[in-house]
Amino acid sequence: MRSLILAGLSVLAFAGAPHAQAQSFGQGVAVGAPAPSFTATDVNGKPVNLADYKGKTVVLEWTNNGCPFVRANYDSGAMQKTQAAAKAQNVVWLTILSSAPGQQGYLTADQAKADIAKEKASPAAYLLDPDGKVGKSYGAKTTPHMFVITPEQKIAYMGAIDDKASAKAADHTTSKNYVTTALQNLAAGKAPDPASTTPYGCSVKYPGQS
Amino acid sequence: MHRILVAAFSLVFLALAAPARADEANVHVELLSEQARIAPGQTFTVALKQTIKPEWHTYWANPGDSGTATAVEWKLPPGMKAGEIQWPAPGRIPYGPLVNYGYDNEAVLLINLTAPADAQPGSTVPVQGDVELLVCKDICIPEDATVSLNLPVGATPQPDAGAAKLFADARARLPSKSPFAARVESKGSAIRVALDTGDARQLRDLVFFPTQPERIDNAAPQKVSTTASGVTLELKRAEGAKQDDAALEGVLTFRDESTGKDSPLRAIQFTAQPGTVAAPAGAAAGGERSLGLGEALLFALLGGLILNLMPCVFPVLSMKALSLARGAHGDAAHRRADALAYTAGVLAMFTIIAVALLALRAGGAEIGWGFQLQSPLVVTALAYLLFAVGLVLSGVVSVGERFAGMGSSLAARGGLAGSFFTGALATIVATPCTAPFMAGALGFALVQPAPIALVVFEALGLGLALPYLLLGFAPALARALPKPGAWMERFRQFLAFPVYATVVWLVFVLQAQAGPFAATSVLAGLVLIGFAAWAWDAARFASVRGRAIGATAAIVAIVGALLLVRSVDDEAVAAPSAATAQSSDAVNWQSFSQARLDSLLAEGKPVFIDFTAAWCITCKVNETVALTPEVARTMESKGVVALRGDWTKRDAEITRVLQAHGRAGVPLYLYYKAGAREPQVLPQILTSDSVRSAMEEG
Repeated sequence: MRSLILAGLSVLAFAGAPHAQAQSFGQGVAVGAPAPSFTATDVNGKPVNLADYKGKTVVLEWTNNGCPFVRANYDSGAMQKTQAAAKAQNVVWLTILSSAPGQQGYLTADQAKADIAKEKASPAAYLLDPDGKVGKSYGAKTTPHMFVITPEQKIAYMGAIDDKASAKAADHTTSKNYVTTALQNLAAGKAPDPASTTPYGCSVKYPGQS
Repeated sequence: MHRILVAAFSLVFLALAAPARADEANVHVELLSEQARIAPGQTFTVALKQTIKPEWHTYWANPGDSGTATAVEWKLPPGMKAGEIQWPAPGRIPYGPLVNYGYDNEAVLLINLTAPADAQPGSTVPVQGDVELLVCKDICIPEDATVSLNLPVGATPQPDAGAAKLFADARARLPSKSPFAARVESKGSAIRVALDTGDARQLRDLVFFPTQPERIDNAAPQKVSTTASGVTLELKRAEGAKQDDAALEGVLTFRDESTGKDSPLRAIQFTAQPGTVAAPAGAAAGGERSLGLGEALLFALLGGLILNLMPCVFPVLSMKALSLARGAHGDAAHRRADALAYTAGVLAMFTIIAVALLALRAGGAEIGWGFQLQSPLVVTALAYLLFAVGLVLSGVVSVGERFAGMGSSLAARGGLAGSFFTGALATIVATPCTAPFMAGALGFALVQPAPIALVVFEALGLGLALPYLLLGFAPALARALPKPGAWMERFRQFLAFPVYATVVWLVFVLQAQAGPFAATSVLAGLVLIGFAAWAWDAARFASVRGRAIGATAAIVAIVGALLLVRSVDDEAVAAPSAATAQSSDAVNWQSFSQARLDSLLAEGKPVFIDFTAAWCITCKVNETVALTPEVARTMESKGVVALRGDWTKRDAEITRVLQAHGRAGVPLYLYYKAGAREPQVLPQILTSDSVRSAMEEG
């Protein structure tokens, strides 16, 4: 009898284990699926809720100013250009920093403000996610990792910023920008094409790793 | 602290925009040639050797969740060509919730170069490569290096002896092209991959690396099962990836302990083609259609109970019921002992079958329930045995005092042994019948570790023994049985006929398996057994000499019957077996093969598949009742291709399909709608309506 119970338990354990693991990281995030809701604090200490932007197209950008791939996109001016174009189209751009304290790219609110000014970046809000909650709910893997969300708050595009997985600034002045394409497609009432690409860059510096 | 310093340092480093020189970097890159001297037009190999600082790593062709593969831009003289990078097998590099694929310490990438055909002997050929790579620890640094070689040209090539070891080691780390068939199947969020490697039980540390990005969840644990027939992997589909049945390409790394304890890591590269893959052992509980242990036990019990009513078991059980009707007038203790002995017989025989089945599977045989009947010798033995049972029932021969035995302690003991063997016999004749509920339970059992499988088998046995067990222990039930009398003799004789019918069916199976000659030999054997029974019985009341003659004649006849078995070749591959060729041929059957199915599905055709066996009564009944000419016409009008998989004799391919659907035996009916990749499983008790409605929906 005891061995039967043990056998039963181990079957349950088999069934349970992989699911528990998967739940925490990017579960259910897919093109066409609802965008995971979140609330995060911006650099001005203001809580920002994704639901506040219902009815508008939203772009999420995962950043880390120490990552060479992010650097290349900012040093070339490509990221700032994409942000400005989005703003002009009334699109909400949210830059998200998921580096944990002590990890590469981690910034305090004031440091982040200074960084925005220095880069001449123009996000609608810059969100601090030092515990990585927002990043993990979207399964953000790299910096830069981009998501475009429809006014109905469904994911329309996810993946790389452009087609040059390069840490060289010069490459990003000539690249095909997927976010720009996705926003143009959405404005024209079409589904983004491509709707999903492989994100490139440094891994997101989540807490609890060395 | 150390980390922050490194980070700060590297930021300063980047800010200064100093071109990274290979020697100061985290990765030292060298270019080496296998040839000290090359010949014009020769294709030779160079190595890009990365020496990586401890704790840092560079990336494989598919870097995994983040990172970038090393790239080389060649600057070659006119007429010279460079091939693709040949990547050594990578390792998994976990990073928080992410997993990357790459190398630490050292990576040697091989590249084939072809010298210009017009290179002049005596000159040198300059080779230059601009290497771009990303090296990461907790932070990532892109590094550049320019590497070059000047290769002397001669009329004949000359290898560089000093480089031989480096190149030999590097080639040993390249994944070799897999010689094994590989299949991939999507199941919900799982992607299952099977490699038919043969006995894989000595393989350790198996890790799969996908060549294509965004196909599998890199960080998800990989469920691996290694069996006597190959390797099965269960991977998780990448979040957001489409559920498709595209081929899956990748590299599998492993150690082969059959070549010693400290065997080196080996790697094979393969492309798995869409097909059916059974869940890896132990993973069955995660699948959607599979049962839990509790359910499996319940279904096994129910299945066993229903077995009592199946045509192959019923006569034997009736025999038991007869003796019980007599026994009901014995004392309660005797009845209980009798019921327990019967149960023990059933369970003992189930244990023997289960152990044999598990042992054969462990030995690599692709078998399932009913496997005993796939052997013509077993079928022959059963035919003889059942014929003898029939003769006893008919009263041609009386066996001791089993049917008359009452009261005395001697007879009681004989009765117990008799009950035990009746139980065992009931189990043997039950094997061809897969009762409803049994299929799922057995399918579950066969992918479980042996102890759990045994528990499920015992539950099945308990189900079979249950009615008799209840009668033995509940006197009220036993009293409800009719009173014994003269009718019992007639009823017993009547019961011989279902038994003879079973013998006819066994001979039919044998003829399908081993051909008409073997079947005729066994029929002759049956005549000899009949003669032996008559001779034995006729001599019972004769003189001593008469008895001796009778016994001798009986023994000679039985030996003759056994000798005839020699003409039954156990390995005979009979011509198209009866299950395929003859029965119910309203439907225009084609014979099943995985390749045929795959090509039909690729054409987008609707397909109906009938997995059957000559010895499977349920299958025969279904085919007669459900696959009517009318159904055949519907099939034809809808363009449904009908495939039939004949499992009368062992067939590994069919066994795999059965397992993929959680079944251990036939029947199994699958219907693929036009263009569908996933079949609909039709009920085990098939009706014309269920087949037609499946096709109408499609």
